[in-house]
Amino acid sequence: CDSFLDQPVLGQYEAGQFFTSDTNAILAVNAAYVPLSFRDAGSNTIWVLGDVASDDAVKGSNPGDQADFENIDIFNITPINAAVEAQWRRDYDGIFKCNVVLDGLPESNTNISATVRQQARGQALFLRAYYYFELTNLYGNIPLRVKVETPEELQSPAVPQAQIYAQIEADCQAAADALPATWTGTDVGRATKGAALALLTKAYLFQKKWAPAAQTAQAVGALGYKLQPVFADNFRAATDNNQEIIFSVQHTTGLSPNQGSGLNQWFAPRPQNGYGFFLPTQSLVDNFERTSDGVVDPRLDYTLGRAGQSFFGVAFDPGWTSTGYVSKKHLQPLTEIPATIKGDGNLNYQALRYADVLLMQAEALNESGNGAGALMALNQVRKRARESYLYDTSLPNAGTVPDGLLPDITTTDQSQLRELIRRERRSELALEFHRYFDIIRYGEAYARQALADRPNFNYARNQFYPIPQSERDTNRNLGL
Amino acid sequence: APASHQDPANRRISVQVSNQALKTALHLIGQQAGVKFVYSPRLIDPQQRVTLRAHEQPLPDVLQQLLAPLHLDFEILQKQVVISKATATGAVPPPTLEARNAHPVPVETTITGRVTQANGEGLPGVTVVVKGTTNGTTSDADGNFTLSLPDASGTLVVSAIGFITQEVSLQGRTQVSVVLQTDVKSLDDVVVIGYTTQRKADLTGAVSQVNQADINGLPVTGPAQILQGKAAGVAITQATGAPGENIAVRIRGVGTINDNDPLYIIDGVPTKTGINQISPNDIESINILKDASSAAIYGARASNGVVIVTTKRGKAGKPRLTASAYAGVQTASNLINMANTSQYVAAYNVAAQNDGREQIPADVAATLPDVNWLKEVLKPARQYNGQLDVSGGTENSQYIVSGSYLKQDGLIENSSFDRYNLRTAVNTTLSRFVKIGTNANLSYSKTRQVGTSGDGFGDGNPGASIVRFALFRTPGTPVRNDQGQFVDLPRTPDGALATAFLGDGINPVALADAADRNFNRYNLLGNAYLEITPVESLRIRSDYGVTFLITDYKQFFKTFGVDRSFNSPAQLAQSNTKEFNYNWTNTAVYELPVGKSTFNFLLGTEAIKNNVTAISASRRGYVDQSPTFQYLDNGTGVQQNGGGEAHSALFSGFARLSYDYDSRYLASFNFRRDGSSQFIPGRRAESFYSGSVGWNLAQERFLRDVSALSLLKLRASVGQLGNSSIGNYPYASLVGGNFYYPFGGVSTQGLSVVSKGNPNLRWETSTQSDVGLDIGLLQGALQLTLDYFVKNTSNVLLFLPQPSSAGNGGNPAVNAGKIRNQGFELELSYRNTIGNDWSYNLSGNLATLKNEVRDLGGTPPSVGGRIDNNYFATLTDVGRPIGSFYLLQADGIFQTAEEVFTHAYQGPGIQPGDVKFKDISGPNGVPDGVIDGNDRTFVGSPIPKLTYGLTGNLRYKSLDLSAFFQGVQGNKLYNQVNTDIEGFYRAFNLTERAATNYWTGPGSTNEFPRLSWVGASNNKQPSTRFLEDGSYLRLKNIQLGYTFGDKLLSPLKVASVRLYVSAQNLLTFTKYTGLDPEQGTNSNSLGDGVRATGIDFGTYPSARTFTVGINAGF
Repeated sequence: CDSFLDQPVLGQYEAGQFFTSDTNAILAVNAAYVPLSFRDAGSNTIWVLGDVASDDAVKGSNPGDQADFENIDIFNITPINAAVEAQWRRDYDGIFKCNVVLDGLPESNTNISATVRQQARGQALFLRAYYYFELTNLYGNIPLRVKVETPEELQSPAVPQAQIYAQIEADCQAAADALPATWTGTDVGRATKGAALALLTKAYLFQKKWAPAAQTAQAVGALGYKLQPVFADNFRAATDNNQEIIFSVQHTTGLSPNQGSGLNQWFAPRPQNGYGFFLPTQSLVDNFERTSDGVVDPRLDYTLGRAGQSFFGVAFDPGWTSTGYVSKKHLQPLTEIPATIKGDGNLNYQALRYADVLLMQAEALNESGNGAGALMALNQVRKRARESYLYDTSLPNAGTVPDGLLPDITTTDQSQLRELIRRERRSELALEFHRYFDIIRYGEAYARQALADRPNFNYARNQFYPIPQSERDTNRNLGL
Repeated sequence: APASHQDPANRRISVQVSNQALKTALHLIGQQAGVKFVYSPRLIDPQQRVTLRAHEQPLPDVLQQLLAPLHLDFEILQKQVVISKATATGAVPPPTLEARNAHPVPVETTITGRVTQANGEGLPGVTVVVKGTTNGTTSDADGNFTLSLPDASGTLVVSAIGFITQEVSLQGRTQVSVVLQTDVKSLDDVVVIGYTTQRKADLTGAVSQVNQADINGLPVTGPAQILQGKAAGVAITQATGAPGENIAVRIRGVGTINDNDPLYIIDGVPTKTGINQISPNDIESINILKDASSAAIYGARASNGVVIVTTKRGKAGKPRLTASAYAGVQTASNLINMANTSQYVAAYNVAAQNDGREQIPADVAATLPDVNWLKEVLKPARQYNGQLDVSGGTENSQYIVSGSYLKQDGLIENSSFDRYNLRTAVNTTLSRFVKIGTNANLSYSKTRQVGTSGDGFGDGNPGASIVRFALFRTPGTPVRNDQGQFVDLPRTPDGALATAFLGDGINPVALADAADRNFNRYNLLGNAYLEITPVESLRIRSDYGVTFLITDYKQFFKTFGVDRSFNSPAQLAQSNTKEFNYNWTNTAVYELPVGKSTFNFLLGTEAIKNNVTAISASRRGYVDQSPTFQYLDNGTGVQQNGGGEAHSALFSGFARLSYDYDSRYLASFNFRRDGSSQFIPGRRAESFYSGSVGWNLAQERFLRDVSALSLLKLRASVGQLGNSSIGNYPYASLVGGNFYYPFGGVSTQGLSVVSKGNPNLRWETSTQSDVGLDIGLLQGALQLTLDYFVKNTSNVLLFLPQPSSAGNGGNPAVNAGKIRNQGFELELSYRNTIGNDWSYNLSGNLATLKNEVRDLGGTPPSVGGRIDNNYFATLTDVGRPIGSFYLLQADGIFQTAEEVFTHAYQGPGIQPGDVKFKDISGPNGVPDGVIDGNDRTFVGSPIPKLTYGLTGNLRYKSLDLSAFFQGVQGNKLYNQVNTDIEGFYRAFNLTERAATNYWTGPGSTNEFPRLSWVGASNNKQPSTRFLEDGSYLRLKNIQLGYTFGDKLLSPLKVASVRLYVSAQNLLTFTKYTGLDPEQGTNSNSLGDGVRATGIDFGTYPSARTFTVGINAGF
């Protein structure tokens, strides 16, 4: 009767028997990318936590719609907030999938070829660092999980942020050693050596480790990344994976199952079958520099839609928005993605691009007292921005850079330069979900000023989001 | 001729009894000869001692040998043997009654009469006695009797086993006719227990029985609904009122956080799902094995109780045709009073003013329509049913063929349930030793689903409840526009979008209109058996049963919406799941009488195999959305497919020993050993033991003479049961999943760990103890069954709730929990007749239940029932019932600013008029002056403390009236949809009471907060504000019938016709403010199962149904 009772597992691998081929190793690491995706933009809430919370954007849409996102906006934030909960789960799910790969691919696993093992490990290490970086900047002290843990091991305390950063640094360094500089063909979009180094730069910078941050940023530049001549190419489907892009979250329309961007629908105005979320603020608009002739930083109109300007070829209707502005960096023209498939956009999310690295380098050098070095990096970014007028023929009077537009910065006064780099960073990276983290790391004084119109904001309380209630309920050793 | 063997008169019997009760001897003879004895225990003492030895003698010889010395006569009528006193007039009373009847009666008047069954057939062997005397007789083969009396003034007591005793006052009449009603609760009823049957009187376990008569005329669509309110300790909850909706059957509470569904055995075929494919009309009886000793013979699958369904069989005799049909209309009742347009506008403007938003301008408000959305989506719907049976046969072979059709349309468009059933069952006696038979139920059903519960969260459910959208939609938004299209987004008269004022929810009528979700189920459930009787007391039976179920799912996602495109691009999804299960069961039963003792042995083996294969496919892009193009071939866009297979197997051996000493002392012991493929080798098998004892006190010498007491039996049982519903491979961590990521623009698959296994897993085991008492009083007119049970489930498989930082790798199962259910059950029936024309009976049942989690093995308490923003309504923790509500406690409304200031901090921006919450605790376990997650407490359980049912039948001549009440008491419901329609935080409609009774200043109200969307994030926090008492009492069915008599019908060759009208769910008494207090797990929380019952997201309500029906026999 024992043979009658032998019913093997069908259609799935038993975990211990999975990491037996190169193909399976790659399948496992593929899964670790999925939590990055914005195909379900309502549960990948980094846009809420990173920008709606900041002075750059408000929630938008109808009042009351996604009330919890509104609660982030007004700093009425509890551990049961949907956005707080969603991002936590998502990032830790990514970490889990990375740990599955790393546990299954020790050096001793000789079923897998050395190259595939190294590359798969490298990607998993990078992704784990990426998820942890988001997590520790969102939530501060958090549990550290570096393997697939048993139920007992999962009951574990939050560890100090420094320990999380130590892991991020170690993972980024190991990933940088393991990963190739580029991928081709159907591997485009995988983590590269540059991605690992760029993330490492960011980890150093956020910890105010200025010298290693500057050094690592330098190493990223040495890999050959260049700024794209036209700023807006970073936010166009046709030029998605360009020379400036270090790491981006990939989206492709028309696939099955859905692998397009949902942000395209969440952020588009309602008459275009969008939901009308994520509206830029006047404060953000005011951050963009203008010449004395009133010519505005061209990045403004690449970043958002406003009255009097074409909105992807159609007239902008101020009725679309309560702030007067609509975000553009995650949207596509209706000619590319028609209203009927609005939620299946084709645009990647640029997680790490070279302009960001240059600005980090500028900041790190300035903070280490090398103002001259800082200016070189900073002015590359400004130059590209103003030279949009040389390369983007759609701009009025294209071909000549308007007088006085985004001139090179010359001051090496550390304090002045700090403010200029911060302003540059805000304009350059606007609405790319980074602003709130910058505000917080710049310190209390900066944050209080930036969020002066949010009476509920309290730096000590809101420096980090609360660890979600679901974690508090299920992890008894969390220590909260 | 071989046939002669089968005529009971020629049947040969071997019997050996020595100084045992006559009743016992007759029972043994009856079993062998396949006959039933009919006699009056008042005229013939069934306890008198007899001795008999017969070997292979014809039945008449044996009876002659047995009965002649007792001065008793007998007559063999097909399968009935009527025993009467040797002198038909009763002039010579039997010896044991002599002492009580000292005075001979002078003979003067002759009374003649006829006793018939309800269908008009003459009833032979009925005892007719003059009340207060022993003067009596029995009816002949046609039911006629003659009696000589001093005068025609007495009262006749007319009784027969299996029928309700009737008293007929003569009042000078010399000719009477009496109609006896079948007594479904008769003590000689046979109860179907595991693999065999047993007389109810000999039962030592706790078994509830529901018979065909209990369900006559109820417009129920599935067998499980029959049980509602009919059996103590069996709680039936339909998830919602939608046609074809899931029904939760809970026997003696929930013993586990996992699968709590009972095991169904339909004519010997075990099934978990096949029950829904049977027509209620085909059911003869349902026996519910509640305690361990009854159910333990089913071992590893029995811990949630066992429901044994026996379908109708043909009986020897002329072909009989019966037909029944009903037709009815369903309507929605107890609708929630929602705000009308002017109330909505007023409430909106108050909130807008409070929050500093733009108000709805008066000129806009003046143009708005006033729509009652609940009435727009809940429309009257029809329901009808027809059934035809033909049955009959000879002594050797019997057959039944039946067919039925049921149609139930839903209150909501595009929801319905249709079922076609065809059944045939044949039994044949091939020779003296061999019997064979088959039974086949074929059915096809079609369920059309719309969203019925839940808010659409989670996969694999029909989507958010239509009713929910109807509650949300503001009354100022019209259903259709001037062009007749469904309005999508509301607009002001000048054509501008008015979503800020009137909301942007989905038009529920359009949503229902677009719903096209179909489940076609093709089912075969049947068996074939071979029964060999090599010697008289040994019966060997081999049963092969199959269930074959094809579920064909097809859903078309139509693109709709005027302003927005829902379901864009249009998509077609189809799947086909084939489930083929078989069981091969072999049993041997041996009966061994030794002196006054009888031993009964059962030995058996059972092999069960379950196989499931499934394929699925979908395609997008339908240029033509009309039904004639809704095929996979016609899609133009992306296509997808899937498929898989799963198998499991169970192999078991079992044994039972039953012991009966003189019908006084009874005992039974069960053993079963189950091996399952669901565990890793070495941990596959487990043994289950149980035992029970019974003591028939009424049979004892000291009680035998207490004539009022017809039954007094004490029972006790204890035993172990298993639960194997734990998934196919819980021991293994599995890598799978369909994760996709577009590297280089190409869809690329990923795999990861999707479930975490535990190689040490074992069965869940429950240990159940039961003590019971059966009492029969007033010649059985009053019957009472009491049971008290304790059911301890241990090794409960807990899916260890992982911290949310564990990733989505699934929760591993561990054998960690202990859950206790204890309860008291009472079943009561009483029947009586008043004069010739009136009779009535009452039957009721009630059960208490206390459910408690005793231990979670150190695992953290598990949350369940997501209700809002990742907030869960329930917590399953030690010392509490499973799935207890765990919420903040609302404590009225802040009346003053000072009160806000002095109260615990609830967050920024709290104002007078906002809801106040109790500061219960803090991070250190003491109140900390801050309201947060630490202040949640256990505030009640969705499990009723008391469930009950009450049925009353009243008959006057040919008129009958019955009423059936059913209710639950002591449970809570979380009215989640009220957080949306009373929480008022966006442009959703709100209830009339919330729109008009809101807080306006100190002292105005302590119930409804001020109207403010900003304040709502505090005020609508999940709390006891939305927790309500879920108790209800429902008049489930009331029915009035008329049976046409013989005279009218005989020219039509119709034996009987009953016409009736009935109303289902006519009245509901409840304090619950939602649409329907009767609801189970909503579609959001299916994964949480019993940890998330009683959460109302705006449920599809039960219909009130009015029907007219007819039952006819030919």
